[in-house]
Amino acid sequence: MTRIITRKDGSVWVERFTPIRRAEHILVLLTFVALTVTGLPQKFEGDNANALLAALGGLDKARWLHRLAGMVFAVHASLHIAVFILGLMRHKMRWSLLPTIQDLRDALGTLRYYFGLRPDAPELPKFDYRQKFEYLGMVLGGLVMVATGLILLYPTTLAAWLPGSLIPAAFVAHSNEAMLALLVLVVWHVYGSHLSPEVFPMDTSVFTGFLRKDELRERHTKEFRRLFPNEPVHAHEPKPQVAAPTDAN
Amino acid sequence: MISPLRAIPKHTVVAFAALGLLWSGAASAGEIEESNSACLDCHDGEDSAIHFADGSTITVGISADSWKKSAHSTEVRCKDCHTTIKDHPHPAVNFATKRAYQLDRAQTCKRCHYAYHTKAQDSIHAKELAKGNDKAPTCTDCHGVHNETDRASRQAVTLRCGNCHAKVAEQYAQSVHGAAWGKASVNVPMCVDCHGAHAIMDPRKAAFHTRSWDICSKCHSDAEKMAGTGLSTKVVETYLDDFHGRSNERYAQGAGSPRKPIATCSDCHGVHDIRSFRAAKKNGTLQSEVIVACRKCHKDAPPAFADAWLSHDPPTLASAPLVVLIQWGYRVLIPLIMAGLVLHILLHLWRARVHR
Repeated sequence: MTRIITRKDGSVWVERFTPIRRAEHILVLLTFVALTVTGLPQKFEGDNANALLAALGGLDKARWLHRLAGMVFAVHASLHIAVFILGLMRHKMRWSLLPTIQDLRDALGTLRYYFGLRPDAPELPKFDYRQKFEYLGMVLGGLVMVATGLILLYPTTLAAWLPGSLIPAAFVAHSNEAMLALLVLVVWHVYGSHLSPEVFPMDTSVFTGFLRKDELRERHTKEFRRLFPNEPVHAHEPKPQVAAPTDAN
Repeated sequence: MISPLRAIPKHTVVAFAALGLLWSGAASAGEIEESNSACLDCHDGEDSAIHFADGSTITVGISADSWKKSAHSTEVRCKDCHTTIKDHPHPAVNFATKRAYQLDRAQTCKRCHYAYHTKAQDSIHAKELAKGNDKAPTCTDCHGVHNETDRASRQAVTLRCGNCHAKVAEQYAQSVHGAAWGKASVNVPMCVDCHGAHAIMDPRKAAFHTRSWDICSKCHSDAEKMAGTGLSTKVVETYLDDFHGRSNERYAQGAGSPRKPIATCSDCHGVHDIRSFRAAKKNGTLQSEVIVACRKCHKDAPPAFADAWLSHDPPTLASAPLVVLIQWGYRVLIPLIMAGLVLHILLHLWRARVHR
């Protein structure tokens, strides 16, 4: 069930992230920062890289931390995916964070709106296509990082089962995929969750777990309609006459 | 950077020599000739000896011919080095051993050659001497006594190292470097090119190992020196792109020291017995030879592990298709994705403004 709470000031808030999801976000944040700080000076050389390595206590220490953070990330990613698959199988979870054909339509519709080819932006679901892109990128990119990272950590074990030429390929992929992840994070995530005029300075829902009802109506209209079927989205709209949905999250 | 073989400019040497002579009382060429011939009157070919406490002896005679060919003959008086001798009869020499006497005499070199003396103080040889190992060489063991030539030929110097390091000299002689002596001796590295001449570092030290690729790089990254050898000049560049090279480069730049040594040139190619993998490359047995080198550190490496080695040429579509395709894939994908995302953001911002 999606929790809806009313705070003392009378504002209504809709739950967006359960406590476990919030904890997961903090864990990913910490591991991502740790992996970036210990990984970048291994990829790039120069005075800054050397200063960072020195601050970390040398290359060996930086590598140890990198591997530790990588292991934490790998275990987290595996559990996250396993829980999602089990949840889907037992019908306890929705496909709310993964892309559908509708997301493609939303993306195209939004672009048409940006170019002035339609009067309104499409109504978006609980997680819009921009957020799904980021989530999917995180999971798929994360899997690439985990797989290539394990190859680089246990190259002789890999070569016992698979061609040895995968080792230098993993080296190149690990390094490039990391750059892609970092760039997407710096550009897309920082814009979407901090700098975008809709959320500036910060979308706090991933830490508090809740999004204010009017923000939900504005940015995730489709989810608003699902949760509040009897309330109009726009002032001129007639009251919709739909039965309340059975909700599962 | 390591540059063990840096010659001290000639004028510096002359200045130091002049200073030294001033100190011992400057002498003109004529004075030197006169003073020395007085000594040679007795010492040329003389075969009486000094006796030391342990029974060892040293003859007091020298060859006037070889002395006159030495770099010192026109610059230095005998008594400039033999400082205890003022006139005849000479004072008694009281040393326990011949070696103790030799080491003591070599202390006079620094009166003129102070810069080289200082450099040599950092060497493994000086440290061994300080520890009491009197087999370690001092100046005269490499440069000679009474027959010091101005600049010994590079080959001659290398042969002198072999006086003590016989086994290494033998390995070296059979290596690709040693075997090329007759053919193109100018470009062939000799002992001092890798180890330095005066400030010889202890090659067993971890710091020497992590930086040793830089020594090889001096010649193997130099297109001029590699001309005619058919060798790639990208050997060090490709090594530094690799996990091993990248690691050792960071350690060399001060990122701590490795917990376990990480492979450098000599771990695959040999140290003094450096050999070529060319024959193996031709015969198609390269993989089986490379895996032997891998297993020095990666004990349980299966044969396929050797395929991880990309060779010393930059990867191409033919030599490492997967690596090249992934590299190009990202080279296209990253700018494409980022351009799309930035465009989307700009459109969003533009629309948000128009909408308001």
